[in-house]
Amino acid sequence: MNGITYGAVTRDILRPLFKPSAAYLGLLGLSLAIMAWGGYCWYVQLVHGLGVAGYQPPVFWGVYITTFVFWIGIGHAGTLISAILFLFRSRWRTGVYRAAEAMTIFAVMTAGLFPAIHVGRAWNAYWLFPYPNQRELWQNFKSPLMWDVFAVSTYFSVSTIFFYIGLIPDLAAVRDKTSGLIKKMYTHMSLGWRGTDRQWRHYMAAYGFFAAFATPLVLSVHSVVSWDFAMSQTMGWHSTLFPPYFVGGAIFSGCAMVITLLLPLSKVFKWDEYINVWHFESLAKMCLLTGGILTYAYAIEHYVAWYSDNPYEWGIFVFRATGEDYAWVFYMMVFCNCIAPLIWWVKSMRRNLAVLFVVSIIINIGMWFERYNIIASSLAHQYDPASWVFYAPTWVEMGILIGSFGWFFTWFLLFIKVMPSVAVAEVKELLRPPLKSDEEAAA
Amino acid sequence: MSTKTLTAIFGHLDCMIDGVHAVKQSGISDFVATSPLPRHDLEEVIYEGRPSPVRWFTMSGAIFGGTLGFSLASFTHLNWPMIIPAGKPLVSIPAFLVITFESTVLWGCLATLIGLIVMCRLPGFGLQAELEDPRLSDDKFGLVVNGLSDAQAEQWKEKLAHLGAQEITVTERDDA
Repeated sequence: MNGITYGAVTRDILRPLFKPSAAYLGLLGLSLAIMAWGGYCWYVQLVHGLGVAGYQPPVFWGVYITTFVFWIGIGHAGTLISAILFLFRSRWRTGVYRAAEAMTIFAVMTAGLFPAIHVGRAWNAYWLFPYPNQRELWQNFKSPLMWDVFAVSTYFSVSTIFFYIGLIPDLAAVRDKTSGLIKKMYTHMSLGWRGTDRQWRHYMAAYGFFAAFATPLVLSVHSVVSWDFAMSQTMGWHSTLFPPYFVGGAIFSGCAMVITLLLPLSKVFKWDEYINVWHFESLAKMCLLTGGILTYAYAIEHYVAWYSDNPYEWGIFVFRATGEDYAWVFYMMVFCNCIAPLIWWVKSMRRNLAVLFVVSIIINIGMWFERYNIIASSLAHQYDPASWVFYAPTWVEMGILIGSFGWFFTWFLLFIKVMPSVAVAEVKELLRPPLKSDEEAAA
Repeated sequence: MSTKTLTAIFGHLDCMIDGVHAVKQSGISDFVATSPLPRHDLEEVIYEGRPSPVRWFTMSGAIFGGTLGFSLASFTHLNWPMIIPAGKPLVSIPAFLVITFESTVLWGCLATLIGLIVMCRLPGFGLQAELEDPRLSDDKFGLVVNGLSDAQAEQWKEKLAHLGAQEITVTERDDA
């Protein structure tokens, strides 16, 4: 970023705000239409009940829980990039962390819909939250499902606070470039921020504490989600491997989604100076690392199942790979998550934007199938062969799954037009400050 | 009684830091330095390494949250004691660790947010007009020195111009 001034950073990053192009409006319209389709499918389920989903005993967790875990996983990259890489002083995070944080929040908002959709009677979903009933009976705090409510709601709250705090100086920059009602709106949103020495001093201290809190939180959330499965006695789930396996997978899919979202964004907004192949290559390396962890986890869970000498445990892994119902799901998962990303070991391939984009989408497809593979096959093939069934999603479930992408992309598209998608103040930190001594030396 | 307020706009960081250093060295404490980005060197000159008190908010919130989380889980189980076979305890530390941890993080963050708002005096809508220069969130550094006499204002105007201020304005402020 040699030769770029502070003024140019502000101008370049704020340029795309407020002026929607026809292509943008078209994309927003498409997202809204997909969201409306998902909304219609949910309406159908609300009217007719959970019978419209493909559940049959003993399979009562299906596409909705799969999609819940998928979106929670996507939500991992943002806070990882903004908090953990902040503590490691990683320079490449600066260009991408704002959009990744926004992605996190919208992904968790999307995931948050699914417990309500899954329970059927969505109007009773508030029963999940900790409060006593009329007999002063509280929820069971020893249940992993209750831990999950705490983990996801804390993660959402902390990520939102962290995101908003990071935005305040940039919202002040937007305020100072606008006028009229919009200026008034940004004045309130920026809380009257003026960048005084006092404000920056406490801001930087608080930012460090937020990052320190968010770091273990990132690692804990998907660990807790994994305990929804691992704490049960279901074959293929009851494993101490699950927390690192799930966290690795979550970061893998989250980083892939950051590539999917930011690659077109950087091209459309001509942000090559701020988000470029260096950032995407770094994200691809993160995917290689976490994809390697994931592949190892796939291998080791099969090994442990075999070594345990437990025929039920080993049976489920054989069923996943060879059973006619779900084998294609298993191989889809292996191809998308273990084989396809290997191309990024070749430097030229992880610097090729087309390859980056395509593989990142393949990874996201694969990560959805991974959760489906874990959930559907284990429940459809339990201890008693008389209870074995074939669970297949219905059009309503698939409609809601597709609609969730519309919901997510609608929020993201709105975000990029009203808030700076790249952190203005932090990008300036990467530049050499304007110094009189430099000018004198040059003269 | 009215005093003078001097506002200096700098285009160079080193000039601004020299100006802040000179003002601080002269014993003036009523001044505000602004920057479009966080600068640790500027903070070091003004606060000389003193840590922000926000950390006390953070620690208090985290301790409160951890205690609240563990107590909530423990007392609600004790309130409706279930007879659990095999001598498993009602108050189970491993089982309650997750709730305790999440509550620690949540309340620690909320308290940090409160600490930030209190210490930064946000929302800062009532800050003095001299700080409302749109260039200060873009590419300029500002130094506002309050409570100067006429003679001091003239003296500092000259001194800060010499140190590299690109624009200096003096305004009158009615302290009454």
